[in-house]
Parts: sequence; C-alpha cells; structure tokens
Amino acid sequence: MADQFKYREDREAYSAARVRALEALLIKKGIITDRSVDTVLDYFETKMGPFNGAKIVARAWVDHAFKERLVADTPAAIAELALPEGMAGAEGEHMRAVANAPGVHNLIICTLCSCYPWPVLGLPPYWYKDPTFRSRAAREPRAVLKEFGLAVPESTEVKVWDSSAQIRWFVVPERPEGTEGLSEAELEALVTPEAMMGVAVAGAA
Amino acid sequence: MKLQHYLGGLEGLGPVSTETRVFVEPWEKRIFGIHTAMMALSSQLPLPVTPSTFSTVWTWADLRKGAESLNPFDYFRFRYYEKWLGGICGYFIAHGYITAEELDALTEDYYAEPGKALPSAGEEAIDARIVQYLVEGDSPKREAEVNHAFAVGEEIVVCDVPTIEHTRLPGYLRNKTGTVETVYEGAYTYLCDTGPDGIGAVMPVYCVRFDPATIWPGNAEPNFAIYADLYAHYVAAPASARQAA
Repeated sequence: MADQFKYREDREAYSAARVRALEALLIKKGIITDRSVDTVLDYFETKMGPFNGAKIVARAWVDHAFKERLVADTPAAIAELALPEGMAGAEGEHMRAVANAPGVHNLIICTLCSCYPWPVLGLPPYWYKDPTFRSRAAREPRAVLKEFGLAVPESTEVKVWDSSAQIRWFVVPERPEGTEGLSEAELEALVTPEAMMGVAVAGAA
Repeated sequence: MKLQHYLGGLEGLGPVSTETRVFVEPWEKRIFGIHTAMMALSSQLPLPVTPSTFSTVWTWADLRKGAESLNPFDYFRFRYYEKWLGGICGYFIAHGYITAEELDALTEDYYAEPGKALPSAGEEAIDARIVQYLVEGDSPKREAEVNHAFAVGEEIVVCDVPTIEHTRLPGYLRNKTGTVETVYEGAYTYLCDTGPDGIGAVMPVYCVRFDPATIWPGNAEPNFAIYADLYAHYVAAPASARQAA
C-alpha cells in the first residue's frame, strides 16, 4: 500500500524536462509553433482573468439594477460592460451568476473535473481542482468553508452548485460593510477568485 | 464503475488544500498551454484551416477520459497537471504524432540541460486560430426542436445509466430524487458520444435541486441544498423510474 504513494525523487525536474521535450517535439513536427504556448499564457494574463470578474462584481455592488440583470441573464449583463472581447468565448459560452444575500451563501464546485468560467475568472486555483475539495464540498460545505477560514452560521442556507453540464457558475459576493465611499476601482480590489467561487467573502476595505 | 465518477461525498480524506495558486510548479504552465492549443486546433471546430499538422480531435472529453482512466490511487497521488502531462503525452504517442522513444530521449536531453532552447518554427496562422478559439469558444448549444419533458418545480428521479468510459452524471446523484430549478432554453450536445451512458446527441439540460438529507440520510449538514446541471437522458419521471424498477 505504501508503494502506491511513492514518487520519484526528481519528480518536478523530470516533469519539467518531459513537458519541455513534448513542446519541442510538437514544434518540430509542425503541430504548434514556438509561440503557441506563450500565446495561450499571455491571453490569460491580459484578456481572460479574475480582473474581469472583479469589474462585474464591483458594478453589481454599485448598481442594483445591473445586479438583477446579471443574475437573470448573465451573458447579456456582462456584454453591457467594456470588457475585453471573448467574454462568451472558451469556457464562458454559457455562464450563470448566483448572488449571495443575507441568509444565503453560494459555493461553486465541480465534482467530475474542474469546470470554471475562464473569461471572467481565468484559470482555477489549485484548491478548486483538488479531489479532496471536490469530494467533501458536496456533502459537508460548512466544514470545508471553515477550513478556508469562513464560518457560515447554520441559519444561513448554503447552496452548492455542481458544474456538471454546460453552465459555468460564479458567485456575486456581498458588498463588504464600510465601503460606501469607495470608487468602483477600489471596490474591484476587494474581490478575489475565492470570493467569486464562494470559499471566501469579499474583503473589507 | 470508476471512483473518479463518484467523488462527491467520499469520506475519510482529511483537510482540503487551500492553495490559491493556479500553477504550483513553473512547468505546469507549459502543459496547460499545450492542451489549450490542441483544443483550438482540434479538427472538429469550424475554424480556419491552418498549416498545423494536428489532424485529430482533442476536447475536454479526451482530457477527462485520460484522467478518469487512471488507477484511482494514481488519481489521488498525482497533482492536476501531472495527470494532464501523462494523458497528453499518451495521446500524441497513441495517435502516432510522436514515439515514446523520441519523447524519452529528448526528456533525458532536457533533464541534463534544462536551459536548452526550444526549436524555432511555425506559422502565425496557427497562433491566430488559437486566439480565435479563445475569443469565440465552442458552444454546445444547438438549433434543434426538442421536447422539454419537465417544467420548473417538477420532481425527477436521476437514472442509473450504464456508464463505461466517461460521463457527466455525478455518481452521488444516481437514483436520487430532485426538483427542477431551471429548464435551460434550447438544446445541448456534448463533446463526444458517451455510449451506453447516453449523452452526445442534442437534448435538453435541466438544473436540478437536491436535498442533501435524501442523498446522505443522517449524514448531511443542515440547511444546505445541492444543485446540478443534468442532461435530459439522465433524468426520468418518478413514476416511470418506479415502473422500470
């Protein structure tokens, strides 16, 4: 049994060499170019990322009618904002936002894989993809949230959304108290990927 | 039956990871980039033909099949992108794009000399298609007349379909009763035909609400609900499910 969990001692160095060898072969054989991988990575640095989701949430905080439209028809509401092109692109073709409210806390999971709304949130953090989180969040969300440092009282209903078909979900967290005087740009800085997936709440100013 | 299809609710796993980085080792970025380029160059997409020699299909379904085919111990043993690296290397070898021998030999070279440069080659049209894929996506929604058999508020029972290689039905929901929360407008396909599991054809999708106390009686936290998006093939009317039983 112990053998099942043995790793080679040079685990990371070996994987690093292997992925470099793979990329080199794919370039040599004309499958991808020497820029393809960087093209993808640059796109997630500049176009698709949590910076878009933060803008959407900040707008929802300052404009209640926008928030209602965002929950009712997520793609149409997102299209109102001046975000990069591609907000309905790869892994964002069908998105739905759910809003936290007094007495309701939402948590997004994917028990089968790692479905995630790329255009507005970028790529999933490690915790989201880890099988332990995916297993436990389905049955004991409060215990899991507590491990993230978030205590959700029993009087608050927890809604867990398992991303199993076409929809990519995200959460509109509640606006933190004491942020009345902040600009939209200052509010964006309070919104983390964790808050938009429901394992955290938006930070205080 | 694959453990990987039944993760939801599994017990005895210990604390969750709260690691917020996407890539926990620098090399992981490269396999993510390779996967996304393959998705964009996959032959079934209605995108401009490029000089790329990639001529087969690669979608999320292929990536997921690779991870789901692992020994369950390995599934838990390896990190996310380690599973990707293994699955993607295996795909290029199985489809004859590269050989295991040349990959092993070149791995040794880069292991001995990690800073060794990559080859320079490739035409811009290939990378233009990659960006076009990211911008346009690959919607599973299809124009088709379908019968939405259930309405919001109706009760459904989840079928226990004979899944083999791949599924979009979380195992913990099989045979459970839920209530339709949303009837998604239109009809949806899936990335591949899952065989006896039953998805791939164009069909409705429902968002269904479940009471965890009925999924794990006596063993679920209070005051919570779980929702899942389910293809129509996975749900049935309670009466017809009873009849079939």
